[in-house]
Amino acid sequence: MFLNMKLLAHHTLNGFGGMGEGMAMQLARDGRRVLWLAHESAPKNFTAVDVSDPRAPRVIAQTDLPHAQMRSNSLEVAGDLMAVAYQVTQFGLEPAGFELFDISVPEKPRSISFFDASGPHSRGCHQLWFVDGKTVHMACADPELKPHNPKDDQIYRIVDVSSPSRPRAVGRWHLPGTMQGDDAPPPPRLAPKFDAGFRAHNTNVYPERPDRCYLGYLDGGIMVLDISEPSRPRLVSRWTNSPPYNGFSHTVLPLFERELLVVSDESVMDHAADWPKLVWILDARDERHLVSIATLPAPPLDAFRSRGGRFGAHNLHENPPVPGAWKSDQVVLGTFFNAGVRAYDLSDPYAPREIAYFVPPAPEGSPAGSVQINDVFVDDRGIVFTVDRHAGGLYALEMKL
Amino acid sequence: MIPDGRTPVFVVTGFLGSGKSTLVNHLVSREKDSLVIVNEFGEVPVDHHLIEAAQERVVALPNGCLCCRLRGDLEETLIGAAMRRRRGDIAGFDRVIVETSGLADPGPVAQTLFADQALARDFKLGPIVTVVDAADAGGRSSAAAIARAQIASADVVVFSKLDRAPDPSTAKAEVESINPQAALLEARFGQLDPALLTHPKMGTYPIFRAGAPHASSIRTFILGFEKPVKRELLERFLAVLVELRGADLLRVKGVVALEGGQSVLVQGVRHVFDRLRPLEAPATGLVFVANGLGKDEVAALWRAMSTLQASAMSCQKM
Repeated sequence: MFLNMKLLAHHTLNGFGGMGEGMAMQLARDGRRVLWLAHESAPKNFTAVDVSDPRAPRVIAQTDLPHAQMRSNSLEVAGDLMAVAYQVTQFGLEPAGFELFDISVPEKPRSISFFDASGPHSRGCHQLWFVDGKTVHMACADPELKPHNPKDDQIYRIVDVSSPSRPRAVGRWHLPGTMQGDDAPPPPRLAPKFDAGFRAHNTNVYPERPDRCYLGYLDGGIMVLDISEPSRPRLVSRWTNSPPYNGFSHTVLPLFERELLVVSDESVMDHAADWPKLVWILDARDERHLVSIATLPAPPLDAFRSRGGRFGAHNLHENPPVPGAWKSDQVVLGTFFNAGVRAYDLSDPYAPREIAYFVPPAPEGSPAGSVQINDVFVDDRGIVFTVDRHAGGLYALEMKL
Repeated sequence: MIPDGRTPVFVVTGFLGSGKSTLVNHLVSREKDSLVIVNEFGEVPVDHHLIEAAQERVVALPNGCLCCRLRGDLEETLIGAAMRRRRGDIAGFDRVIVETSGLADPGPVAQTLFADQALARDFKLGPIVTVVDAADAGGRSSAAAIARAQIASADVVVFSKLDRAPDPSTAKAEVESINPQAALLEARFGQLDPALLTHPKMGTYPIFRAGAPHASSIRTFILGFEKPVKRELLERFLAVLVELRGADLLRVKGVVALEGGQSVLVQGVRHVFDRLRPLEAPATGLVFVANGLGKDEVAALWRAMSTLQASAMSCQKM
């Protein structure tokens, strides 16, 4: 299925094509474009793909995790530094936190340091944001804290890595009422079927507003945080759609000049059992009073819900403020599991229009029986890179607009 | 840049037996992601049997003339195709090629795309391609008005059967006299580089040839604008023009710079105009292909309206 997108290349990454939600491009010193990809699950940690020629991607590095009870899922690149998240499947396991690598020679990533976040109430780091080479913003447990509910372990944390060999935690924030010792009462939880927890997910910080973190917080909705004092982040505003929706607020993408926020939910149940999982457009002219004005037009539910696996919103191309990345405040791209990768025109924010999509066929070996497009990254050549969650690996697409 | 994303609808028209199906066959063989819509005049669907490729995507409309009796069916077909594409029932397509009846004026197809909001969400008018049999100028004289309308509407004129034409210059002169703005291409045995249709040199004559000979009463001219114009004034001007002489506006097209820095694409066929759509392109003025209507009259209307509006604004200031 396609509209205004054409497949340039498909690479199953040496048979390890189950990819997470970490995609970052390195403009290597020798002129190559290297796409770094985090795997969704063990045994692989991350894979580097030379995509200088997007029609002929080449795997140039692929690494293994220390054990099968963990996954990397998320990574980011700033210059020749790469941060990789480590999340474990059970509380107390190690390694849990993130690892910094020197990738100046992409074929030989070299470990520089490890930030340990393991503990009896920690599953480590699920997601991180690292674009300035100095600071890691992440969704990660803090061993000093004990959540009332184990689902709420991962909070927003700020780590100074300006000395890459000595990462140093400098700030944190969690939803009041979720940790023992809080004065605030515990927040009301969603219905058990949909209770995914009150914890951080995407933690975006941009140079346009270095004093703001745009934070997805799963069942807690989204937050705008004032991080002008990193040691003491403060809540500016919160917006939530759940209930009556079914939680899992995932990504907050600010479009600064447009004074808009684009907010994605994540579908986490097969056959759209948690539908609707949407992408929301918020009017952010007053950041203290966020107003929902539209949602991106979703693919037809009845045509997709039974195709296998998940159907609904997930990741966005986040306009990462790094060289090599495409930036747009008119066009937003998102991933929708079995409905592929899709692009939307936001020139009229009250009436977004779908303008392009690509839905690959079910990859060989996929347990879902359908493609499960998980994440997307667009480079400054306009090449759309997207990945399958289970088996399909990497797809390189040309967007014809 | 504001992305468009709508699928272009190529309209391939031409007189009976001019070689439309041969050309469409060739286009489909070269541009595989095309949805072809064939229409015939008469009871027996002949032409769609000539479409050799992409059979599963061919939708034949076998009843009657596209321009008059089947307009509703074309809308339904296009909307249905967009819906099936969105649902994944069909793989997808990059363009639609509508082959009209030989006796059809292509204007109403364009009007349908301009006027139907549901259709305009997914589709936009692509080039109108008129196939002209270089060897049979006499055949067109049997229905001269339709043949002239087909040529007058064209963005691109493709001359066919050149191998059989003893003197193609007659056909070329006929086309140039009706529509000197059209790009002129030559096809032998229907073969043509499809890229030429999407990126044609804009007209054989980039600027309208003063004093070009005209067939019957058809006139082609450019209305230029010295400076950016007010959107509201342009919209009113087009509305008045349509009200007064809409039936004679065989084709109006151009890029006009608006006050405030934006440029818009203007497209119209007879009484129906597309809404003004933002376009990042140099201003061209408005190209008119009109029947019995000259540049002097149109320019006079523009001058009058712009003068009156300026006067009205100065009165308001007092």
